[in-house]
Amino acid sequence: MSEASLTSEPQGREPGIAPGVAAAGLSPLLRGGWVFWLAVAVLGAIFLAGLLSVVSLWQAGFAHRAPWGYYAAAFSILLSTVGAAPLVSAGLRFTGAHWRRPLARASELFAVAGLLILAWFWPLLRLVPASQPQSSLWFGWPGAPHLWDTLVIAGLTLCGLALLYVGAIPDFAAARDQGARGRRLFALLALSWQGGERQWRALRAALTALGACYFLAFVLAQTLISTDFAQSLVPGWQDSLFPAYNVVSGLQGGLATLIVVLFLVRWWGGLGAYIGREQFWALGKLLLALCLLWFYFWWSGFIVLWYGRRPIEELVLQLFIAGPYLWAFLPAFVLSFLAPFLVLLWNGVRRSILGPTFAALLVLAGLLFDRIRLYVAAFSVEEAGPVLQALPAPRLPQAGDWLVLAAAVAGVALLYLLATRLIPSLSRWEVAEGEQLRVERAFLRRKVTVIAKPD
Amino acid sequence: MEERRILSDTEINLDLLAPVYGTPRWFWPVVGLLGLVVAAAVGAFIWMLTQGLVVTGLNRPVFWGFMITNFVFWVGISHAGVMISSILRLAQAEWRRPVTRAAELLTILALLTAALFPIIHSGRPWRTLYWVFPYDFARGIWPNVRSPLVWDPAAIFSYLTGATLFIYVALLPDLATLRDRSLGWRHYFYGALSLGWRGMSRQWRLQALVGILLSALILPVFISVHSVVSWDFAVATAVEGWHATIFAPYFVLGAIHSGVSAVVTVMALVRYLYGWKAYIRPEHFDALGRLLVAVGLAWFYFFALEFAFGLYGQDGPEVALREMVVFQMPWAGLFIVFLLTAFFIPVPLWLFRRVRRNIPLMLLLSVLVNIGMWLERFLIIVPGLARKEPFTFVWGSYAPSIVEILLIAGSFALVCLGFLVFSRLFPLIPLYDQKEGQVLRQEVEVGRARVKAVIREE
Amino acid sequence: MAVDLDRCTGCQACVVACQAENNVSLNLEEAFLQRRAKAWIRIERYWEGEFPQGKARFLPVLCQHCNNAPCEPVCPVYATYHNPEGLNVQVYPRCIGTRFCANNCPYQVRFFNFQEHVWPPPLNNGLNPHVTVRSRGIMEKCTFCLQRINRGKREARAQGRPVRDGDIVPACAQACPTEALVFGDRNDPQSRVARLLQAASARAYRLLEEMGTDPNVVYLMKVERLERS
Repeated sequence: MSEASLTSEPQGREPGIAPGVAAAGLSPLLRGGWVFWLAVAVLGAIFLAGLLSVVSLWQAGFAHRAPWGYYAAAFSILLSTVGAAPLVSAGLRFTGAHWRRPLARASELFAVAGLLILAWFWPLLRLVPASQPQSSLWFGWPGAPHLWDTLVIAGLTLCGLALLYVGAIPDFAAARDQGARGRRLFALLALSWQGGERQWRALRAALTALGACYFLAFVLAQTLISTDFAQSLVPGWQDSLFPAYNVVSGLQGGLATLIVVLFLVRWWGGLGAYIGREQFWALGKLLLALCLLWFYFWWSGFIVLWYGRRPIEELVLQLFIAGPYLWAFLPAFVLSFLAPFLVLLWNGVRRSILGPTFAALLVLAGLLFDRIRLYVAAFSVEEAGPVLQALPAPRLPQAGDWLVLAAAVAGVALLYLLATRLIPSLSRWEVAEGEQLRVERAFLRRKVTVIAKPD
Repeated sequence: MEERRILSDTEINLDLLAPVYGTPRWFWPVVGLLGLVVAAAVGAFIWMLTQGLVVTGLNRPVFWGFMITNFVFWVGISHAGVMISSILRLAQAEWRRPVTRAAELLTILALLTAALFPIIHSGRPWRTLYWVFPYDFARGIWPNVRSPLVWDPAAIFSYLTGATLFIYVALLPDLATLRDRSLGWRHYFYGALSLGWRGMSRQWRLQALVGILLSALILPVFISVHSVVSWDFAVATAVEGWHATIFAPYFVLGAIHSGVSAVVTVMALVRYLYGWKAYIRPEHFDALGRLLVAVGLAWFYFFALEFAFGLYGQDGPEVALREMVVFQMPWAGLFIVFLLTAFFIPVPLWLFRRVRRNIPLMLLLSVLVNIGMWLERFLIIVPGLARKEPFTFVWGSYAPSIVEILLIAGSFALVCLGFLVFSRLFPLIPLYDQKEGQVLRQEVEVGRARVKAVIREE
Repeated sequence: MAVDLDRCTGCQACVVACQAENNVSLNLEEAFLQRRAKAWIRIERYWEGEFPQGKARFLPVLCQHCNNAPCEPVCPVYATYHNPEGLNVQVYPRCIGTRFCANNCPYQVRFFNFQEHVWPPPLNNGLNPHVTVRSRGIMEKCTFCLQRINRGKREARAQGRPVRDGDIVPACAQACPTEALVFGDRNDPQSRVARLLQAASARAYRLLEEMGTDPNVVYLMKVERLERS
């Protein structure tokens, strides 16, 4: 029994596919119409307004880092939400969880927003001194950190787009074959996909490889960005956990983003038949685990520095936790860990659609405060030297900063909406495959779900 | 690949209870040999007790050496049981069934062994009572809760309690099976232990519920144990190479890495010794191998961060320490062996399905990992102490004495001995879990093919 | 305590005095080879420059009696703690010898009794009756001659007066021929140590200040003579 013969099944004669899958899979997320264009217009306006704010920052120049703090925070938020969202699908595909199938595409569509990450990164490059600060991961490598950081961010974006594209090829082919609107374009995109055994095997190998690459690129990007754009800007701050903390809180943010988007997709996108309580329940469990991990990573870093009692470490803790950014730390702690933890603790809450969505919204708000406390604080330190001497004054968000943050969100939403026009919003072939591998069967006096596990 | 047979309940009983009913020929000689090693270690301990720690290789500034390394190592191994049992149970991974009991047993034995070492290693083991218990309460002196050395016993005892409950709850149905199939004192022994298990549906429901609850509740404890152990080192500012924020998750991942590898070792040995080829199968090793690839990569990421951030500050003593470990013998030799055995040999090989399903090779690789992980702990703990930098007259080095080596050897023998004694009294593979797996097994027709399938547990 | 490095000649008199006063075990050759020798106060010696112009620098290191002592929080049984007078004291009967305090001491002034120490006759007659002879398996370190502090206070109480500056002198300070070591109450502005630190405040520093241990021993930098070229 080879798996290829199994999976080539849906493409050829389409025996097991419910007609709904085919229809829903091919329709755009928001069925055209004025609502879609209105949303595009509103988001576009917000994005442009934010862009103006960025332009004014640009005109003020790059001599001072502090005004760019919120811009950098927005970048980290982008990386930790939309950058991480495709990982949910990639990771679950690794573990072979069947419930991932309906949400795979919704998660991978975020890779399109990777373009925004790449664009957003560009001005940041000029804010990091070319001459290496005293503390750096680069040890005087040529081109560091600018060249390498750019390569990693670009690699992340490309990898995400490739993951999205490769995963969508069978669906493009289906659109081509079923004569959907714009079938010429779909024919081009489908790359002469016929659904042969070899093609399926290649597709699977490519998805595995790209998923692994995306994961590595994400970890690398979070590591380098958090080190070069936060840690090395604060003299004397030496915290080896910080990159890993960024990875974990980034995964948490990506998961939360996905949950919120799934809720919206269910509501307005007409995928209610596929994305249901099963998905939210499972994602809720994952979110609970990641909330606990957030606390664990934060606490592990905190206790070591706090117990150490060295003056420089106390100053760093002052800066990020108890001092000028206490107003950002407290909500970050409550919203990233405490509140969602207490909400998701209850199975009844997890096993609903509103519960995980609510917790995800809390987590996203927490992420906002967390990145503000980290990046704005790090950017507001302007002194150089071996150790930090004094704490900077807190930098509260101005109107322009709010606009910058809003532009990031609007830009992502805009790209996502436009992408759904082109790419089927349901991973049709994965759902079809899942339906084949799952059978309801009578067992003793009960009906049970039987899941096939081809090895 | 051999076919997966459907085994009858009687067959399962006979196969898996064989070591309980009869003794294999190799059993007593092996027990005798292990007993000798343990006796030698006990002798070494008594010698140390009468002479003081002068008989070890410890000195100023290397106050902690082999024994603390071994403590950390065994606590690490103990992470196997919960990793396998609870996470896989929560994730409903079907392949966990034959693995769980051995893994949980490994947890308990490793923890007990590990807990011996801080006590042995203290200057006055006979007075360690008030380390844990507030014995001197008449004078109002309590254990110092600010000390990581007080967090240690708290974490270890919580974990030990949880793991013991875990293994006991999973043993109940099997104990009842044994009670119904034994005579004489054994009948009463198993009867008392099985707590009136009759296999009623309410009992099964409760047993499953307790299993799930313990799985979820023990996870934070499981994470906390090695974190606390890591803070024994990480909170110390005075030692180069110890004071790193990453230590807690780094240690936990290292513990999972070595613990799951140890489970592979145990499974391969048990399969070979008791001939349970129908139960412990290549696909189990395959699944463990895949898990180990993920764990190994994550561990390596944390290792790389720890190392890179040691150099990050470009702080003289810290850089010199790394330089010594990487370039100066004998540390350099140990470092290379550690890197090769803990990561660069096994993890790339595990990427290949053929390697993961080759059981002798898996046994070899899993042993290699644990050699590497033992060295890792040694290389974390000792070089930093040996190079306590600030003043000229305190550098040191360290070489273990025969007493310490005997104690280490004894700890390994003790765990093996524990396994053998347990296997003589209780089945090493859960019978009821195996039977449940048989019941849940189904086949599904997909297109023209029949695919193995399983009923999803609620 | 103040340590005036400008006066220290590295004569090691303090080391010997401490050894005799506090019943510190005999440092035989074997103990040195095993790196288990004890010296509650030691003279660190640094060489500066090459041979003809070489200079020796001396730095007496003893327990710094830190206000934020890293050794204190890590002891599981409160064997090392801060007493109300600000001394960092070691409670021998309480100590079980985990040696964590020694690992966490950046100054390396804590010592472990690896074995039961013996003083072969007639040296056993030279043991100080006011100081505990430490058994094996416990930590020990400089106490600022606690027995002398207690005696000073006792005598002052007997005479019905507060402790005066100079009543209490630890063995090392007493033995120092150049008076490089000065002991006293820094809170009393009239005391000798306070006046010395006041006068030489430009030279004052404390060991490993970046560790944040806030030591109670203050060092006064050596005055460098400019070479006439």
